[in-house]
Amino acid sequence: MSQQGHYSRNSGGIAEALALLKAGNSRLVSLFGSIEDDGTPSVHYLLDAEKHEYRLFGGQVQGVLPSATAITPSASWYERELHDLYGIEIEGHPNLQPLVFHEGWPAGVHPRSGCCNTPVSGEYKFLKVDGEGVCEVPVGPVHAGIIEPGHFRFSVVGDTVLHLELRHFYTHKGTEARMEGMQVPSGVMLAEAVSGDNCFAHAVAYCQAVENAFDISVPPRGRALRLIGLELERMIAHITDVGALCGDVAFAVPSAYTARLREALLRASTRFAGTRFWRGLCRPGGMRRDMAWDEARALGECVAETARDFAELAQKSLETPSVQNRFETTGLLKRDVARALAVVGPVARASGLRLDVRRDHPYGRYRTLALDIPHHSSGDVMARARIRIEETAISARLIAQAIEEMPSGAIAVPVPWQASAEGFSAVESPRGELLYFLRVRDGRIQRCHIKSPSFQNWPALPMAMPGNIIADFPLINKSFNLSYSGCDR
Amino acid sequence: MIFDVAAHSLASKKVLLPIEQLLGDCTGSRMPEVDCGRLNFGLACQAVAACPTTALRLEEQNGIRQLVLDYGQCTGCGNCIETGGGALRAAATGVPSGVARSALIRRWDADHCSEFAAQQVAMDTTARKIRALLGRALNIRQVDAGSCNGCEAEIGALTSPYYDLERLGIHFVASPKHADMLLVTGPVTRNMCEALRHTYEATPSPKLVVAVGACGCSGGFFQGSYAVIGAVGAVIPVDGYIPGCPPTPAMLLTGILQVLQGRARNS
Repeated sequence: MSQQGHYSRNSGGIAEALALLKAGNSRLVSLFGSIEDDGTPSVHYLLDAEKHEYRLFGGQVQGVLPSATAITPSASWYERELHDLYGIEIEGHPNLQPLVFHEGWPAGVHPRSGCCNTPVSGEYKFLKVDGEGVCEVPVGPVHAGIIEPGHFRFSVVGDTVLHLELRHFYTHKGTEARMEGMQVPSGVMLAEAVSGDNCFAHAVAYCQAVENAFDISVPPRGRALRLIGLELERMIAHITDVGALCGDVAFAVPSAYTARLREALLRASTRFAGTRFWRGLCRPGGMRRDMAWDEARALGECVAETARDFAELAQKSLETPSVQNRFETTGLLKRDVARALAVVGPVARASGLRLDVRRDHPYGRYRTLALDIPHHSSGDVMARARIRIEETAISARLIAQAIEEMPSGAIAVPVPWQASAEGFSAVESPRGELLYFLRVRDGRIQRCHIKSPSFQNWPALPMAMPGNIIADFPLINKSFNLSYSGCDR
Repeated sequence: MIFDVAAHSLASKKVLLPIEQLLGDCTGSRMPEVDCGRLNFGLACQAVAACPTTALRLEEQNGIRQLVLDYGQCTGCGNCIETGGGALRAAATGVPSGVARSALIRRWDADHCSEFAAQQVAMDTTARKIRALLGRALNIRQVDAGSCNGCEAEIGALTSPYYDLERLGIHFVASPKHADMLLVTGPVTRNMCEALRHTYEATPSPKLVVAVGACGCSGGFFQGSYAVIGAVGAVIPVDGYIPGCPPTPAMLLTGILQVLQGRARNS
């Protein structure tokens, strides 16, 4: 496991994990289940311990599982997912309602029936807010824009939101189960279809998990190409988000202009990488397609020009008083709330949490770079916009540097994947910490767990809503910019 | 300030692409096509073996061995191009879009290097014809019935200054009640099935339904998953299919216009 910072397997059992969470200085990174050969379910806790060390705990579930949610609310959705998918009874969870299954889910269609299979019921009760003048506003799953499906239930008085409750998993596709039994190289294609706009980050995270499992090192040129793809994806995501934020305050010019900048980057990708979103370019062991020196330089020029243009436009946009009026103090996510929910990515960095996988658990080419990661502490829409603007500039610099210092040599090495192994990998995707856990048996995927930053961050969105007006919800939601499919899988 | 932003935008040069350049184009889609001059049975077998779905397959009809390529199932993984010994290459044009499900399938004689009569319909590309086709406007309601958001990312790009769908009178509307066309991405999940049916019912007739992407056309990688019903066509009637994983903005535009042209021809 030499590939990614510090990672220790078999750190202890369930009790040790819960004790460490109780001690308060470890962050819950993921909590997931698996079915052992004898058919009994196991659970695995991944914690980020002090001094940035990923530590994996776990063990078989004997009877009921003591809830970690009572210790840290960040465990809540994970345990609800375990309850739905594995039928594991969780003792002491304050709200063990269905997460994955909805009403009308047919009896018997239970994905991972373990030993203690509970009957599936999709019945869900929203919290009822009572009082004079309180109304409920249901929104979704089909939304007004070109976006993914999800349900939001607002309780409002007049314009002011008192409470927001989420109901997601409309796009649950059973992706993790779908991967099981596939040959290792084919898993990349499913990883790319978890969250389409971050497909390259998913591909790299999956491939790194394979490489870590089989103790393979990607050649320097492959690592440099991956960095270019990852940072380009981040630029595209952040530029799109800043434009959409402007669109949500009815500022159409920057909204249209950023769409143009985004398209310029996608078209440059097509010219030099053959694909708009870098799908199909990553493979276990490295990359599938090289980039000639002049192609790389031309892509670099387009990136540099776009970054300059965007920086100027973004600065002018944020200097506009009506934008400041709408962005500032809106959708406040306090630091202690962000920490309690173990929020990651730009949302965490805008609320004063210093988290970035690239710096804390460096991988690939990031292991040799000194990174300057921007942070803000105000936790509002403005802070999240600023983080994205600043990170775009940094990504452009990283791409320029990678092209400038592009190593020569191979872009990939063969991976002896037709064996059995276990691996793990984390990547800082545009939305934050993205994690793959992979168990391979004789060259086939036996278990693949995908923790997307969106799954982690969605529960924080309702915490940023109370006291805001309902008309600001699209703006606040966009400032988090979470993937529905990434969360639902 | 607001005027600085406007001035910045006005100072930039125009990027709008002419319609003629977009129709039929599928550059960057990663969709393959057969290079007839290089195809032989051995290479066809290699390509079929490399396909992770059943998009590429061999069929025998009247004693002729055919290489069948179903774009509705193709995810553009590139395996066939990588292993097909030059018999397959990345397509720049020629991928059908906005046609019937069966018309997404192309067939080649695996032994004699020729394509069986393609069912492709030529698009009339003049701007005047396109306007005539649209009448005054086309209102589209996009419905994500379970996609990975890759298709949404590309559909969203259609409104950018490069493509500017509004120049043709095509608008994305906020409610199915305002829509003439539903642009549906898949695969249709169990949890979205009912919402998709309701959205279809809420759309006034006459209405058009277009299934988008490999998942929308065929269920893609997710066909057979416990959580997925399947292709859009398994849930509501579909008028045209746009393949791709995801389809490029040019393929989407081609497909939308093709569905309208098919409709005009049939009515």
